[in-house]
Amino acid sequence: MKKKNKISKKTIIIFIVLAIIGLIYFIPLEWVTASSLRPSGSLYEYTEPLNMETFIPVNITFENYVNIFTQQHFGRALMNSLIVACSTVLLTLLVSSMAGFALAKFDFPGKKIVFAIVLITFMVPFESIVIPLYLTVSALGFINTYAALILPGVANGLAIFLFNQFFSEIPTEILEAARIDGASWFRIYRKIVIPLSVPAIITVIVMVFMFQWNSLFWPLVATHSTRLEVVQVAISANRMTEATHWANLFSSAVAGSIPPMVLFFFLQKYFVRGISGTGLKS
Amino acid sequence: MFLCSIFRGEVVFRDKRAAWLFIAPALAFLLLFKIGPICVSFVESFMMTSYSGAKSFVGFENYIYLFKHDPVFWNSFKTTLIYSVVLNPLIVFIALVLALLLNGSQKFVKFFRTLFFLPTAISFVVVAVIWGVVMDPYYGLANSFLKMIGVGAQPFMNSTSQALLCIIFISIWRSSGYWMMYFLAGLQNIPESLYEAATIDGANNFQKTMKITIPLLSRTMSFVLVANTAFNFLTFAPVYILTQGGPNGSTNLLMYESYKSAFVNLDMGRATAISSILLLMIFVFTIFELRITKANFEY
Repeated sequence: MKKKNKISKKTIIIFIVLAIIGLIYFIPLEWVTASSLRPSGSLYEYTEPLNMETFIPVNITFENYVNIFTQQHFGRALMNSLIVACSTVLLTLLVSSMAGFALAKFDFPGKKIVFAIVLITFMVPFESIVIPLYLTVSALGFINTYAALILPGVANGLAIFLFNQFFSEIPTEILEAARIDGASWFRIYRKIVIPLSVPAIITVIVMVFMFQWNSLFWPLVATHSTRLEVVQVAISANRMTEATHWANLFSSAVAGSIPPMVLFFFLQKYFVRGISGTGLKS
Repeated sequence: MFLCSIFRGEVVFRDKRAAWLFIAPALAFLLLFKIGPICVSFVESFMMTSYSGAKSFVGFENYIYLFKHDPVFWNSFKTTLIYSVVLNPLIVFIALVLALLLNGSQKFVKFFRTLFFLPTAISFVVVAVIWGVVMDPYYGLANSFLKMIGVGAQPFMNSTSQALLCIIFISIWRSSGYWMMYFLAGLQNIPESLYEAATIDGANNFQKTMKITIPLLSRTMSFVLVANTAFNFLTFAPVYILTQGGPNGSTNLLMYESYKSAFVNLDMGRATAISSILLLMIFVFTIFELRITKANFEY
């Protein structure tokens, strides 16, 4: 009886600490969402003094959301980001899983060099090579095309590494048996290896989608026409013009965050499992 | 060898042709869009472009100029160092504390995990936008709160002394939840039996955390520290959106300076020299951090 009391006291303390930290996370998110529903003239009207109206909009309106779609082509930006993110995900899944399969189950001359290249590329973060990448991509003639936004994102050492880790757990005997039955390597890859690695696939989907959806620096550098504007560039454009357009800034920020949040909520469980599968287990 | 210990899998099949066919597409992408640019970065940093557009090899000239005659670079270099040295340990510490607080099975734990991870799911652009308005010196929520509790209004990003601290705070808010997930994954791999044994030996909770949890998390810790270092050295979005390097260069991180150099001043030699220096800084910090965390590990 005494022990049970002690545990609940500890739980209460933890809860209070978490609730205080939680407010620092919750309040800004809530306030921006609430403010995006206010008439565009009164965004900052209720910040002082703090009271209920600071956090709950009085005259709810969707005009700020309507405006970004009718005046600012935010719909096209959403579409562009969706095209870029989904194409990158599909290509990365195909290319990286094939490489991961070869590295996990084959022995071939030059394997160590390939390992080294994969390792270097996931130790060197994407952002650090943006400027030389611009020079490479413009030499290829891709600047200001979808290819410039999509293709560099496919070169993903971490995805290859994840697949390699996952595929090496698949028992070799199954593959050998299929081989004896006369299946081609590609058939084995497609019919046996891929169906067995759904958790790895989901981790890569979340990782690559979020990376592409949230990227600002590369799209800013690689494209310069509104036709190819992606979500993050469109959001920050509201801040960069001479006079910040607060109402549109708020509504585009909220609208642009919905797709990655939805994806995360559905796939959260697998993503965490994928993290613990990256070889961090002691 | 180190390489082979990282990549797993016992090797059985020796079909060279098939292996290379599976590898080739990925290898092409990696060479073209990663290895290529890394080489370009180093080559270009040894070049100077004249006004006519002709390129000439100038050796270490771009680097020497940066360190000898370029006060803007020096300021950025120092700002980036301060930013990283303050931010890295703070994020790791906060992520670890959050993970320890959330490593239970109570009902509310799941809610807070999602809440703390939320800033990672939304982009750094949106995070910067949110805190930009919350920390607005005139109408922001933060100042309303500070006035209410009697601290008084702060200039935040309008002040030379507070702007970098604001960017550091925003980075912590954005990233802690992400690294927390790695610590949670690490915590779940610690066998319960160790804690039971310690309880029998009469250890209290604090002792258990210090003597069992922290040492057994050292592998995760070293991964998080290293990955987080690279990430922080390359901070761009909040500077671009909120301060543009100002006021007075107080938030002019190297990443932003190299962007300006390349695309505003069109000086590719200087820009690639700066990004090569950034790569080198990440490399040096990584080696240093692996050293200190390994020392802990052996202990």
